[in-house]
Amino acid sequence: MDTVFKGEHLLPGQIGQFFIVLSFGAALLSFISYYFATTEDAGKNDSSWQRLGRIGFYINSVSILGMGVCLFYVIYNHYFEYHYAWAYTSRSLPVYYIVSGFWNGQEGGFLLWTFWQAVLGNILIWRAKSWERPVMTVIAFSQIVLATMVLGVEILGTRIGSSPFLLLRKALEAPIFQSPDYLSFIKDGQGMNPSLQNYWMIIHPPTLFLGFASMVVPFAYAVAGLWQKRYKDWVAPAIPYTLFACMILGTGVIMGSFWAYESLNFDGFWAWDPVENASIFPWITMVAALHVLIVYKNTGHSYFTATFLVLISFVLVWYSSFLSRSGILGDTSVHSFTDNGMFWQLVIGVLIFLVLSVVLLVARWKQLPITKKDEDTYSREFWMFVGSVFLGLSCFHLLVVTSVPVWNAMFGTKIAPPSDIIKHYNVIQSSFAFVVTILTGFTQFLKYKKTDVTRFFITTGLYLLFAALITALVVYATGVYKLNAVFILVMWGSVYSVVANAKILADALKGKFKLAGSAVAHIGFGLLLVGALIAAGTTNVISINNTGEGFSPEFAKEQNPRENIIVYRNQPVKMGNFLVTYTGDSISAPNHFFKVDYKEVDANGKVTNEFVLKPKVQVNKGQLASSPDTKHYLFHDMYTHITMSNAISATEGGAESAHDEADDDKNYDTPVSHTVAPGDTIKYRDGYILVKGLNKEAKVQNIPLSDSDVAIGANLEVVSHGNHYNVVPVYMIKNGNVFDFARKVDDAGLKLRFSKVIPENKKVEIMVYQQPESKKKFIVMKAIQFPYINFFWAGTIIMVIGFFMSILRRKKELKVV
Amino acid sequence: MKKSAIFGLVVIAIAIAVIISVYSNSSTYGSFSDAQKTTSELHIVGHLNTTKKLYYDATRDANYFSFYMKDNKGEERKVVFTGTKPEDFERSEQLVLTGTMVGQEFHASKILMKCPSKYTQDKLEITEVKATQASI
Repeated sequence: MDTVFKGEHLLPGQIGQFFIVLSFGAALLSFISYYFATTEDAGKNDSSWQRLGRIGFYINSVSILGMGVCLFYVIYNHYFEYHYAWAYTSRSLPVYYIVSGFWNGQEGGFLLWTFWQAVLGNILIWRAKSWERPVMTVIAFSQIVLATMVLGVEILGTRIGSSPFLLLRKALEAPIFQSPDYLSFIKDGQGMNPSLQNYWMIIHPPTLFLGFASMVVPFAYAVAGLWQKRYKDWVAPAIPYTLFACMILGTGVIMGSFWAYESLNFDGFWAWDPVENASIFPWITMVAALHVLIVYKNTGHSYFTATFLVLISFVLVWYSSFLSRSGILGDTSVHSFTDNGMFWQLVIGVLIFLVLSVVLLVARWKQLPITKKDEDTYSREFWMFVGSVFLGLSCFHLLVVTSVPVWNAMFGTKIAPPSDIIKHYNVIQSSFAFVVTILTGFTQFLKYKKTDVTRFFITTGLYLLFAALITALVVYATGVYKLNAVFILVMWGSVYSVVANAKILADALKGKFKLAGSAVAHIGFGLLLVGALIAAGTTNVISINNTGEGFSPEFAKEQNPRENIIVYRNQPVKMGNFLVTYTGDSISAPNHFFKVDYKEVDANGKVTNEFVLKPKVQVNKGQLASSPDTKHYLFHDMYTHITMSNAISATEGGAESAHDEADDDKNYDTPVSHTVAPGDTIKYRDGYILVKGLNKEAKVQNIPLSDSDVAIGANLEVVSHGNHYNVVPVYMIKNGNVFDFARKVDDAGLKLRFSKVIPENKKVEIMVYQQPESKKKFIVMKAIQFPYINFFWAGTIIMVIGFFMSILRRKKELKVV
Repeated sequence: MKKSAIFGLVVIAIAIAVIISVYSNSSTYGSFSDAQKTTSELHIVGHLNTTKKLYYDATRDANYFSFYMKDNKGEERKVVFTGTKPEDFERSEQLVLTGTMVGQEFHASKILMKCPSKYTQDKLEITEVKATQASI
């Protein structure tokens, strides 16, 4: 007998599930109809198949919206009977993070992807004209595949896809689900990982998924071109979409990099993590494809390469989705997704598009317009082609290394990635980057098809020389010359690319406006590399700690970079040019901010610059997550990250237990008594205490005094590391009994008692309790200078502007033709 | 020979060079006893021995963290890491260390940990409500 569960809201989930199934069915209908519209109604203007295909696609789009609304309703109303709401959100989550809770899980990611693909499909229905039928066949097919990923239906004993509307009691096995009122025990969801509670979580995933989704459009055109044997026509309309895909995916990836830099503890903006790499595979191949498409459009050469690169880019989108979602990266990535039983389905997703591409290419092989004639060595197209192939090779290298776990799974080997993987990537990728950047420079000076050779060599030589001079200057000033020679070569290539393209841009502004977009994009790319090189290559950890004790003889022998430093509260520490002080905390749950004061001191000891950084640590369910804070300057950034602190506990925010006095004394070293008179000073470890005087009118809160009672306060001034604190411990005789009221100076780690009055020699006794070093508040922090990182961000923005200008140009060309 | 053929050969040569360089650069997964025999860096998969003490005292050295790990063959060694104790280290279910053996200690240059609770989040926490007892 089925148990009836109390308090569940099953309706929104059932509607949502209905929409999922509907979207699958509608995509199927749309695919079949468009397929027949392409094959049966070819040449007919009016096709009922096409109308049916459109209707199918509209229904698909609407049901995707419906799914989204239902999921949002579930999350917004905190229906924790749904696994998705329970796993990714909680009651305390603010509304704008509830929006991002939507794409926190894998199912939401697929939902976002299929949503963008639906939007693009609708644009194509509206704009694609004669291409609508074959192109939409492919898009509808892709929608079917995506719908299966969220289907969550069991067929023949295997679960297909993972539905966001899965109920908690079906997702987990636990005895409490036997009880019909289990919901009354589930008060709150798991909440969002605190490191994801960031505004980038709201805009980064949608941008990234729009980038991935838009890769389908060039793919669909390429497939349609092969299928319909319209080998030449598909290129012109596909170019603007290719540009768009490159622009958006590039933006999305760099947003992720900025997010990591701003608020995650990666110690930088790019870590060559497998998941990061996977997200740029399709970008690199699509940029290469873009260039070869233009070559083909202008000369008729390189048809196969252009098509191949477009097709492989989309396959790589699926491959990267497989890498990050299947859990195969397990031992090599800090990124997180684990297998939720869809491993083989994701493999099928990759294979289906790979096989489709290969089959089409093989079937049409004999007819492909492959030219027998060689290209002119001095034509722009030839070198664009060479550059694209090198981009492809760079992607190939990334792919080979990142896929090490895949090779291990396929061949049963046990290879581990290179141990110094970052260096490995940096050196090899820089070699490719050098070739590519040099090509982005001189290729611009070549004419399409034919060039005046001598003049070309003279200008190229001049610009290379000029770039070399600038590079020498930059390399010397920033200290890049200390690095591997290959990085200096990349610097040269990048500077050359910027200079040469600046010249093209200057010419473009004088009239040849067509080339402006590509010049701007190439300048942006060059600057991006310059910024990345300097910032990553000359990163300067200033929190170097040389005070470490030897724990074992072996340990002390090693030349380890000791990059974390301990800073006690209110005790300044010198780091590089800075005097760094941890001045205090401010807490607004779940964030605990640490105030870190930086003073830049010149040779005369004068403070030239001062600022406060507030890196934070978030507390969530007993877990601590740390986020850096960065001071931005035009030419460098100062980055500070808390790696540990004793000023924060995992239970912060909860009620603090009351300490009794005896217990409290355990937090201090054995007290030292001093017999002093007003005007005396007491020395202690971190400074001294000045006894300014006694005051007879001391009052203690809530304790009324009668005439026979006495209360004396000792006015003390504590001086510790240049900070002054005034405290008044009180000595009291009430009803013949003696009491004293100790006062604490938490910032200085002191407790002071006024324990005795010695009337004979007019002296008093002060007891000084000092906190041991380990009980004093401290932070362990890491401070890094990133020089010239703004070139990296600025380069990205300029590149995106360049892509956008090129889209406008290519769209204009389309209308003319 | 045609120019495109030459270029094709160059590309193939580079591709092969890439594969060889990756392969020669790659390290291997091994155990502590493998690490004892070699001086090159090795990846070791294992799990934390929670019964033995984790040592990290920032007041003595903020860059010294030691613990005991059992590798997949069951061999246990003391591991020293130059750096701070990673957040939630105790919760880790699996560790992947990169480093070398120095004497009887394994010196890790990188620690990658798998924390099940952080990501899959499928751990049910049940709140239990109890009446507060009056204390005397």
